[in-house]
Amino acid sequence: MAVRLASLAVLLTSLALLDSSCGGDRNELILGATTSVQDTGLLDEFVRAFEGVTDYHIKPSVGGSGEVLAKARRGELDVIMTHSPADEDKFIADGEGLDERPVMMNFFLIAGPEADPAGVRGAASMSEAFKRIAGGQSLFISRGDQSGTHLRELSIWGEADITPQGQPWYQESSTGQGQNLVVASDKDAYTLVDSSTFTVFEKRAGLRALLTDTEKPNIYSVIRVASDKHQNVNATGAIAFAEFITSPAGQCVIADFGMEEYGKSLFEPAARCPSANVGG
Amino acid sequence: MDLIWDGVTEALRLIFSGDSYVYEVTFTSLLVSGSATLIALVLGLSIASFLAFRAPPGRTLALSAFNAGMALPPVAVGLLVSIMLWRTGPLGQLHLLYSRTAIVIAQAVIATPVVAALSTAALQGLNPNLRLQVLALGASRWQAALLLFREARISLLAAAMAGFGAAISEVGATIMVGGNIKGSTRTLTSAIVLEVGQGDFETAIALSFILLGVILVLVTLFTVLQQRRPPA
Repeated sequence: MAVRLASLAVLLTSLALLDSSCGGDRNELILGATTSVQDTGLLDEFVRAFEGVTDYHIKPSVGGSGEVLAKARRGELDVIMTHSPADEDKFIADGEGLDERPVMMNFFLIAGPEADPAGVRGAASMSEAFKRIAGGQSLFISRGDQSGTHLRELSIWGEADITPQGQPWYQESSTGQGQNLVVASDKDAYTLVDSSTFTVFEKRAGLRALLTDTEKPNIYSVIRVASDKHQNVNATGAIAFAEFITSPAGQCVIADFGMEEYGKSLFEPAARCPSANVGG
Repeated sequence: MDLIWDGVTEALRLIFSGDSYVYEVTFTSLLVSGSATLIALVLGLSIASFLAFRAPPGRTLALSAFNAGMALPPVAVGLLVSIMLWRTGPLGQLHLLYSRTAIVIAQAVIATPVVAALSTAALQGLNPNLRLQVLALGASRWQAALLLFREARISLLAAAMAGFGAAISEVGATIMVGGNIKGSTRTLTSAIVLEVGQGDFETAIALSFILLGVILVLVTLFTVLQQRRPPA
């Protein structure tokens, strides 16, 4: 019995081992990506498209921009795609990353209840809107997780000269972009969200897009992790991914994404997709 | 409430329409959690036999550790296994992070204390003279162990079920060490988390019912095995 169990265990484990294709180390590429890319479903598309034209196997590591950059600093990632400009600049200045290229963008917007008790709709700027939320003591849900969205939110509070932390109307959900929107919707609260995630959740969340920040787009960049600093980094794979995602083929994956389900691109490609379905 | 009912019908639709994604994640769940449970059984039964039959010094201390291990926080296990498997970690050269093997390791770490603690209790519950008697009658250590396992069969199968339950229902460590990769490390539980993150609650509930169904079928099989009369 014990012997039979043991041999079965060995057999199944070796099966699992075989299956995970851990051979060919140089073929695995660890991509650090943020939750909005996963929550919209774009990440799976990137993986599918890139693996279709190369021999690399992408292993995505998903977290907020803060977590992704921290892992990259440890040399645990090969290439990253984040949207946190100030932290990215520091990352590159520290010699941890190189070759930053814009990939795509969307816009930040304030989502809130239809009734809009704080009057965000008429605000002239994002910081003005935040002032109104604070003035009206309206419930605000923050990501609270050092993600790109969280950092943008903090910088708007800074512009408004308000310290929301510790206020009874300010709560941190510490969840991914999509989940955070669901929490805000359940509580009929205001929150800051990117336009792509908002589009995906619009049907389910009862919140409205009240004010969109068109002045400062939310730019997602691809950055290669410095291989001279971290010897394990797959530099050729990282170059291949950065090339692909900024090439017409990669840009078209972005332009096409969402067309079928939402009738519009969820993210705007940084360059143009030559065959983009402009009429859609 | 509508959502739950829709989830049930969606679950049935997914199962009977032969949706390949659902079968794939179910297969991954069964493969990794089955492997983890078998590893946990081998390790757990060995530990239990050693603790129960040999009564080594410090047994109470060791047992306390395994009993506490039943409440091992999966997220802490996930973090520790991740750090071990990181490229800069001690086992980094194996390149196991974000693979099914990594999930098997994490789930085995979670399930082993459960099996070990419950099996030790089961074996300690046997009449201590039984083992001496069997050995006196000329049985080898292996034969004696097998006979005692059969004697404690009902409790040992309960331990196996508890270990399997801990493994297949786990998600925190699974995502951390597995990375939730479609077609490779996406299990039923991590697929549920992803669907919730994407706001597709209907599919999330459907997958939850499929997970519950899979557990129910397997545990029923175990229970039938457990309740069967031993061959005379």
